[in-house]
Amino acid sequence: MAHCGGTNGSKLFTMVLYMAAACGAIPISDLLDRASQRSDKLHSLSTTLTQDLDSHFPPIGRVIMPRPSMCHTSSLQTPNDKEQALQVSESDLLSLVRSLLQAWEDPLVVLSTSANTLPHPAQSIISNKIQELQEHSKSLGDGLVVLSGKMAPGAQTISSLPYFGGNDIGQDRISKLINFNFLLSCFRRDSHKIDSFLKILRCRAAKMLPEMC
Amino acid sequence: RMRRDLGLALLLLLSAAVESNSMSPPGKPVLLGCRSPEKETFTCWWEPGSDGGLPTAHRLYYERERLEGTYECPDYQSAGRNSCFFDKEHTSIWVDYYLTVMASNALGNATSEPFKMDVMEIVKPDALGNVTLLVEEREGSPHLHVRWEPPSNTDTKSGWVTVKYELRVRQDGGNKWTEYTSGTQTHFSLYSISPGVVYTVQVRCRLDHGSWSEWSNSTCVKIPHYNQNERPFWLMVSILSAIPLITAACILVTKRKFVKQYVLPPVPGPKIRDVDAQLLKSGGSEDVDNALMINQSFPPIVAWKDQMEEYLIVTENDDGLPSNSQKRQKSFIIPVGFNLDLENIYCEETTTCQNAWEKKCNEMDRFEVDDTIKPFTSGGYVDIQRRVDNMQGADVKPVDYSRVKEVNGDNILIYEKENVPLESCGYIDVQIRGNIPEDYSRVKKVDSDNVVTLQSRHASVDTSSREKGNHYTGRALQKTRKTNMCTELIESGYVDAIHPSSNTG
Repeated sequence: MAHCGGTNGSKLFTMVLYMAAACGAIPISDLLDRASQRSDKLHSLSTTLTQDLDSHFPPIGRVIMPRPSMCHTSSLQTPNDKEQALQVSESDLLSLVRSLLQAWEDPLVVLSTSANTLPHPAQSIISNKIQELQEHSKSLGDGLVVLSGKMAPGAQTISSLPYFGGNDIGQDRISKLINFNFLLSCFRRDSHKIDSFLKILRCRAAKMLPEMC
Repeated sequence: RMRRDLGLALLLLLSAAVESNSMSPPGKPVLLGCRSPEKETFTCWWEPGSDGGLPTAHRLYYERERLEGTYECPDYQSAGRNSCFFDKEHTSIWVDYYLTVMASNALGNATSEPFKMDVMEIVKPDALGNVTLLVEEREGSPHLHVRWEPPSNTDTKSGWVTVKYELRVRQDGGNKWTEYTSGTQTHFSLYSISPGVVYTVQVRCRLDHGSWSEWSNSTCVKIPHYNQNERPFWLMVSILSAIPLITAACILVTKRKFVKQYVLPPVPGPKIRDVDAQLLKSGGSEDVDNALMINQSFPPIVAWKDQMEEYLIVTENDDGLPSNSQKRQKSFIIPVGFNLDLENIYCEETTTCQNAWEKKCNEMDRFEVDDTIKPFTSGGYVDIQRRVDNMQGADVKPVDYSRVKEVNGDNILIYEKENVPLESCGYIDVQIRGNIPEDYSRVKKVDSDNVVTLQSRHASVDTSSREKGNHYTGRALQKTRKTNMCTELIESGYVDAIHPSSNTG
């Protein structure tokens, strides 16, 4: 994800020199900026996915939807308002982000396979977006590995949040749609958390650049 | 008077009775929605149902994820009627709230449907105020700079929210808005604006991926004209500079001929002696041809078509010689040149061929001669086909052309030698292009490499030989083998003269 930038139009030698120098000192704010762009895209995708799904969601599903406290990531302690969030250290915030992201690795696969046979009119669009989600998620995870290397050791801690839902999301149409929707809403919330934490980190890292906030 | 009072009392009683009959528990309220302007607080609104004729109180209760118990709205006042305001202490994000509103009066209660919400889903900032427009002029064209302030209650310093802006612009009178995205900047510049037009600008914003705010109030500006002072000046300049140009053009037009003579002097053309230039200009090609020919005393072209197709048939071996008697009776025209095609002759020994050939040539001498041979002209082409044949079936060299340099009378031909290969012994086929197609002239003598002496000799061939086809053969006799050049023409060989005019038509 991270690559070394070079200046356009400079001679080859000076460019190589510059790259050698720059590669050794990519500013964290730059890395965080890219990471938050990825997470922004991730959350945006999940939001539109929810809208696509809601377009033809049976009303009965709303009533018997499982409670969000049953999301598999709900056991992770995360800040719940601004004051709490601003008090968390950078490395802890990053650790939270990485844990959340990793927790969704397997469930996204489940979502992807379920999307192929989802009994919904917008099935192909949904399936497409799920794949995009997987790609962005993977690339964000890779970038965060690099980031965590530049931070305090606390950033390397990843809490394990296993997913016990299995591959099957239901037998009949209604339960399939409900479970799919539920899983997606859990992901939407977690992607918003990831996005918010990374943007806090970005703003903190770029103290001299107010436009980063 | 008593009657009136009684009537009034009755009326009052009736109305009271009517009213008391419609008293009922309150109707069910409806939760309309909630909104968080900055992701730190939020407000919810409801719509009361009917109040059942009695004073009705509304209460909002909520439950929250990760929080035990049911709680009541902390603030009914700050956000106005039928609303509940949750301040920072009571607002948590990424947890679900379950809200219900209960309406109650003396007769009963009514509870709304539960309303589930998460703060992250209800973010919508306030509309922006204080949008300023500034017109700047740079390099003669005006620009419009739009500036605004971020929403006052949002925290943009800590990164808790990221504000993005959009603006739209409309020209006066039109109803079509043009939208622009400004990203996170609080200013924007428009460059494609026209002077004298009134522009209306509106801005809106949103936080992260929440809902867009309402459009700000319209701000208008009229672009002033900047170039007023400069235009008359440039107008004068252009008029003044146009006057001399116009006069110059007039002069040129009136003195066309002179100018034409000066700029495009007539080109001297070639003069052909005795040729009328006017005739060339106006006459057709026939006239021209006639004029040219008559003046130059070219001999007229005689159509020899019938006879041109008949060739002298020379057989390939010694035995096949036509008898003298046959020859004598036939009158034939030997074409002026023929292809001394060596390949058609298979000679095991040169001497026998030579002898046979000499016999043929001598026989031909006796035949009638048509004196209407036409001479060559210098400048015609002699087609020389040189075939390097080393008697073992070697490759045939391509045809070379040697130019006829000069013709002296009818007999001597001097040609410029070109491409003479210094090969081993071979034979030369000479095709001389003369005036008359398919005429053959007998080579009388060869002097060195440059002179071929022709015998003007013709004979006509009879029709019987035509059946044997058009093949004709000849062979250059090799008189001497002493030189290496082997480019000598052999005397008493035949040369083919091809009429040049047959090629040009």
